[in-house]
Amino acid sequence: MVTEATESWTEAVRAITERLNESKDGLDERRTGGLERFQMHGFPGRKSEEWRYTPLSGLVDGGCHQSLSTSTSVPQHADLPLDAIARVVLINGCFQEQLSDLSALGDAIKIGSIAALRNESNPEMVNFLCSSFPEDDHPFGSLSDAMLDDGVFIEVSGEGSGEPGTVHVLHAFDGSTGAGSAHITGLVRCAPGSRLKIVEEVRSTGEVLGNIRWGMSLGDDAVLDRIRVFRPGCDSVFHGTRVTQNSGSQFHDLVTCCGSNLIRNEIHATHSGPGCHVDLLGAYVARGKEVVDHHTTIEHAVEDCTSREIYRGVLSEKSRGVFTGMIHVHQDAQRTDAVQSNDAIVLSRDAEMNTRPRLEIYADDVKCTHGATVGELDDDALFYLRSRGISLDEAKKLLVRAFTSEVLAGMESSQLREFIIEELQRSIPGDGESSS
Amino acid sequence: MSGKKEEMLLDVKDLHASVEGTEILRGLDLQVKPGEVHAIMGPNGSGKSTFANVLSGREEYQVDRGTVQYRDLDLLELSADERACEGIFMAFQYPVSIPGISNAYFLRTALNSVRRYREESEVDAVDFLELIRSKTDLVGIDEKLLHRSVNDGFSGGEKKRNEILQMAVLDPKLAILDETDSGLDIDALRIVAEGVNALRREDRAFIVVTHYQRLLDHIVPDHVHVLSDGKIVRSGDKTLAHELEREGYSWLEATDASAGSNS
Repeated sequence: MVTEATESWTEAVRAITERLNESKDGLDERRTGGLERFQMHGFPGRKSEEWRYTPLSGLVDGGCHQSLSTSTSVPQHADLPLDAIARVVLINGCFQEQLSDLSALGDAIKIGSIAALRNESNPEMVNFLCSSFPEDDHPFGSLSDAMLDDGVFIEVSGEGSGEPGTVHVLHAFDGSTGAGSAHITGLVRCAPGSRLKIVEEVRSTGEVLGNIRWGMSLGDDAVLDRIRVFRPGCDSVFHGTRVTQNSGSQFHDLVTCCGSNLIRNEIHATHSGPGCHVDLLGAYVARGKEVVDHHTTIEHAVEDCTSREIYRGVLSEKSRGVFTGMIHVHQDAQRTDAVQSNDAIVLSRDAEMNTRPRLEIYADDVKCTHGATVGELDDDALFYLRSRGISLDEAKKLLVRAFTSEVLAGMESSQLREFIIEELQRSIPGDGESSS
Repeated sequence: MSGKKEEMLLDVKDLHASVEGTEILRGLDLQVKPGEVHAIMGPNGSGKSTFANVLSGREEYQVDRGTVQYRDLDLLELSADERACEGIFMAFQYPVSIPGISNAYFLRTALNSVRRYREESEVDAVDFLELIRSKTDLVGIDEKLLHRSVNDGFSGGEKKRNEILQMAVLDPKLAILDETDSGLDIDALRIVAEGVNALRREDRAFIVVTHYQRLLDHIVPDHVHVLSDGKIVRSGDKTLAHELEREGYSWLEATDASAGSNS
């Protein structure tokens, strides 16, 4: 759908595509292709099945088509309690060498900026980048292609990696001097047998579209743990991940968010060798008119793979939760074991949850279960807590902790878990204002 | 007693209460002094549990008439959590399980809520563990239960013991036991009763709501009241419980519900 607003987007994007194409880094076809696809398809409207419950009109009509000015300012938040071996900071999409700390990295992990990679003309990495993302009509994918500039790559070799360290990736978006968007490409390659942990944090201030995409490849028996924390105050974030898993590899993903206007989290995981496992977990709290949208696809392409999805949200006021979960079990994917659950607690009449499980199963010997629940806080439990002296607000927070505990229980760091739970709890409206 | 007027802990006058428009309590009077144990007995549907729930502040129970004075407070003006902070504790007939919250975390949150209200300093995790250990011994509860989710997968006896543990931690002035004996075998009943007896104190009163007399063999009451059709129709000492055990509640139907209090 091409409108006036998408015109201003297209003009802005074209200028950037043309400027970046002057760098002759071998990615000009990719950029031009992205521009053309965006020009043709634009942003999807309400009629698009994939975006039906996720309004993009505010994003389209606002000022996010502009580029964010260069900034070295990170929005203020209490720091996550982390014990990281490396810290990567990107501000408004640019890798910040000065603010990042890679000094303690051993030989097993290599980290660098996509911008540097392009300039070195590293054809292998460029190929990996190009093969990680499809060239389709996805609006944010097209924008990422058209403005392909910077981001981060992380490469882990199998040897000597031992006990995996945590890499902290901080995306900061600073729209304090004017609205705009930033488009970031991340790449992760885990060699066979390697292990890596990533904690990805997103902080944002002002009217900003943060468009982040990751292409990931896990070699045989590699293990990748990722925790993503969207800190309160984000305007619009599109976050997409495409991960390809080889035999015996494991990808554990956990995402949490609260207090953000619009979050779309897309994950596309493909099991291309037997014995893979993927965990997709999410806990979120939304209030006001916030929208949190989890959109997952798991391609069980081969036999003997397992997947587990659990998303849990607490929605108050006029907020909206969206979950779309596709589990695609291919014909050869015998003995697939897939579990999907999506539960929400709705604290007000005006809040809503839209949930769409999609199962396509073409193999006959599989176990696939899915469940979705939408409910209110349990009155009996609330009274029980209050009868022990716990105030109504505190009791609600305790029940939110209980509700999200299944998602967060597996976190290795109890400090980080407590930190996240407390941040989620703070986003619950107080004073019984939204009790139903 | 000497000429000095004795302090009243709880004074219930002409209490009328309803649930979803159905009147259940129809003029209940009860006076409880510190240190006393009162048993409220009566047939099913007489209003025993309603009374316990009204006292603890459950909002589904509508008070239509009457007053409840607790110490120098108008109890009916207080929310459930305020009542708890003021020293009222109800041991539930059916304790609620809360998967995902450990018993220890729950107890510490409750204790600190009460302490904040009473303007006492909060207890940190280390001090709390010490405190709780002294209480687990008192009520004969396995310390492992502290680290499990609240009442989740607990046996009937464990749930009731957990209620008594909470009582011990929160240190109430008035404890209400709502059919604490229901679903307990005789051994569990004895253990729970021992816990309650260990918590009896001069400045703490108990209201024991029960259908059967057997709990009162273990928790010996000072006063026994028979509740019928929403009001107390007879009061007496512990021998009244034995009488009820022999004769059941069938005499109530024959009796005009005008019998007064003889306490």
